[in-house]
Amino acid sequence: MTDSTGTGFDSAGRRVITLAHHEYRSALRSRIVAILVAILVVVTAASVYIASTAYRSKLADYEAYRSAAVAGGLAKIAPSPLRLLSLLEGAVEYLGIIGAIIGITLGYLSVSRERTHRTLPLLRSRPVSPGELAAGSALGALAVIITLVAATAVMAVLGLGVIGNDWVDGAQVGRLVLIYGAAAIYMGVFFCLGAIATARASIAVNGLMFALGIWLIVALILPQIGDTLDADNQVPGGLFAALSLNRADETTVLKKFTTYETIRRDIEEASFSKHFERFAFAMADVHEKYRGLTVSELLSEKHNDIIWLVVYPLVLGIALVVVFRRMPLLT
Amino acid sequence: MIGAIAAHQVLSLRRQRTFTAILVTFLSMAAVAGVIGWSSHRTIVRVYDEAVRMLAARGERAPANPFDIKPPLAMLSNMAIYVPLIGALLALIVGHLSFADDQSGGQGRMIFSRSVSRSTYVLGKVAAAAEVLAIVLVACLLIGAASLFVVNDRVPSIGNLARLGGFYALAWLYLMLFALVGMTTALMTTRRSVALLSAIAFWLVLTFALPQFTSGLAPQASLNPVSDPVSSSQRFFEITAKARPFSVTEQYKAASARILETAPAESTAKTIGRVLPIAGLTGGLLVIAMRLARRRDYSRSGADD
Repeated sequence: MTDSTGTGFDSAGRRVITLAHHEYRSALRSRIVAILVAILVVVTAASVYIASTAYRSKLADYEAYRSAAVAGGLAKIAPSPLRLLSLLEGAVEYLGIIGAIIGITLGYLSVSRERTHRTLPLLRSRPVSPGELAAGSALGALAVIITLVAATAVMAVLGLGVIGNDWVDGAQVGRLVLIYGAAAIYMGVFFCLGAIATARASIAVNGLMFALGIWLIVALILPQIGDTLDADNQVPGGLFAALSLNRADETTVLKKFTTYETIRRDIEEASFSKHFERFAFAMADVHEKYRGLTVSELLSEKHNDIIWLVVYPLVLGIALVVVFRRMPLLT
Repeated sequence: MIGAIAAHQVLSLRRQRTFTAILVTFLSMAAVAGVIGWSSHRTIVRVYDEAVRMLAARGERAPANPFDIKPPLAMLSNMAIYVPLIGALLALIVGHLSFADDQSGGQGRMIFSRSVSRSTYVLGKVAAAAEVLAIVLVACLLIGAASLFVVNDRVPSIGNLARLGGFYALAWLYLMLFALVGMTTALMTTRRSVALLSAIAFWLVLTFALPQFTSGLAPQASLNPVSDPVSSSQRFFEITAKARPFSVTEQYKAASARILETAPAESTAKTIGRVLPIAGLTGGLLVIAMRLARRRDYSRSGADD
């Protein structure tokens, strides 16, 4: 970890990479991380399998219609209403819930490991600054997160191809990179939350409980309240559909409830998980509203969610460095 | 002796302010469920009136108000979602603290210097969790009854109060299951974080993974009291549906929807049949906890963080 041959910047970089390596290896050795990852992988596989099986038969129906239309010399053939990436809806939701817990667990382990093994004073006796320590931990955890997210993405793409009988094209690969990139950032934010809460707590497990409490509010309670307050979600199949109102009518009616809708939207806006979900769902064509838009149009449409996806990691990243700087060596 | 251990545990939870935190959280849950139910219902009735006016102006006939068929207890259906979502996690913590604190604080070693059997010890801890959860749920029941009175402007009928009582009795059983999960994982390892995270992993499996496997319920769909029915005609579900009785979260939600009359009625025997797997799993976990406590070495204290 010590180095005197390179420039200051070089040796600092090398120290950060060494710390990141240590973080990566330690996280992979953790049994609890392995259990959580296994749960995420299994539920993702199940959700992709279930969605792909239904998609396969719908795709076969559409292909049969298309062949019949071509054979019959039909001039205008209706485009396919199917959207391959929308099958990832469940996988994205699982990343939002379980991915966040994995992030918190990595953050918790990153701090508690050094405390339990009493290696923090040893580390700080070497020429390692708190900033390098924070950067090394975050970089190592990010590498774990990227490995996990990439494995989940590859599994999902293979599931879509093999089970759904439809393979992603180049443009869809670009969208997948954006979805899973956002997922890595999202999990990284929860890593910072777990590490900060643990570092600030005098008893590490209390920090873990605090971080899990925040996760519960941000990932489950706020979206749940926002969802339940949505008038359209009060009746199976949708209230406006039950009242035989189309999209334009819905907009006209809702104009009379702007205060209610603003409060409902603000509750959802307070949830970082909702911003990740909205961005990922738009990229995956989950909602009809965004279908047919190009990636640049989608990025422009989702600029608010993108801002949150940038601001949160920046704020929590800075907070992580500050907390690591103030962290007592002996606890 | 069971009573003494239970009383000590309740006192310990009160001193740590865990009891207050749990009580406040549960009461907030009940109040939020009431406010959301009232607010969304009121808004939706106004949305319906607005839609009727708009359709009438066009000379079209409005369909029947979909809310006319909603039962009076439907406004509290959010509480049925908060129990497996927030309540279960709090119950995990109650169960976790019951044993983890004794291990890390060294009280376990002190307790077993007296003539206390391991079974008595576990039963005392279980009785304490049962008491704490019962107190907070009774308080929630009172809030629920008050919400019904405020919204409907009349005292709830005996039938509705009985249904509310039945729902909270079911919620208590469901929470006891998770308190025992917290206890069992705390008895399985000396590392508090591993115990807590293992219990949360178990909660994730029961709350999100199993309903996905047995009924195709997406995670976010599990969070809304009103969810669209999922097509489960695939061959995959023909196999996995056999395990549906063991998907205790689904069984809890289905039974509570029947009790609150937010789902189509079914025979009492069928509803009881939904509760049995929850009771069975709770009983099974109690047996496991007793076995684990018997094997545990209390001569060593000071759990790892």
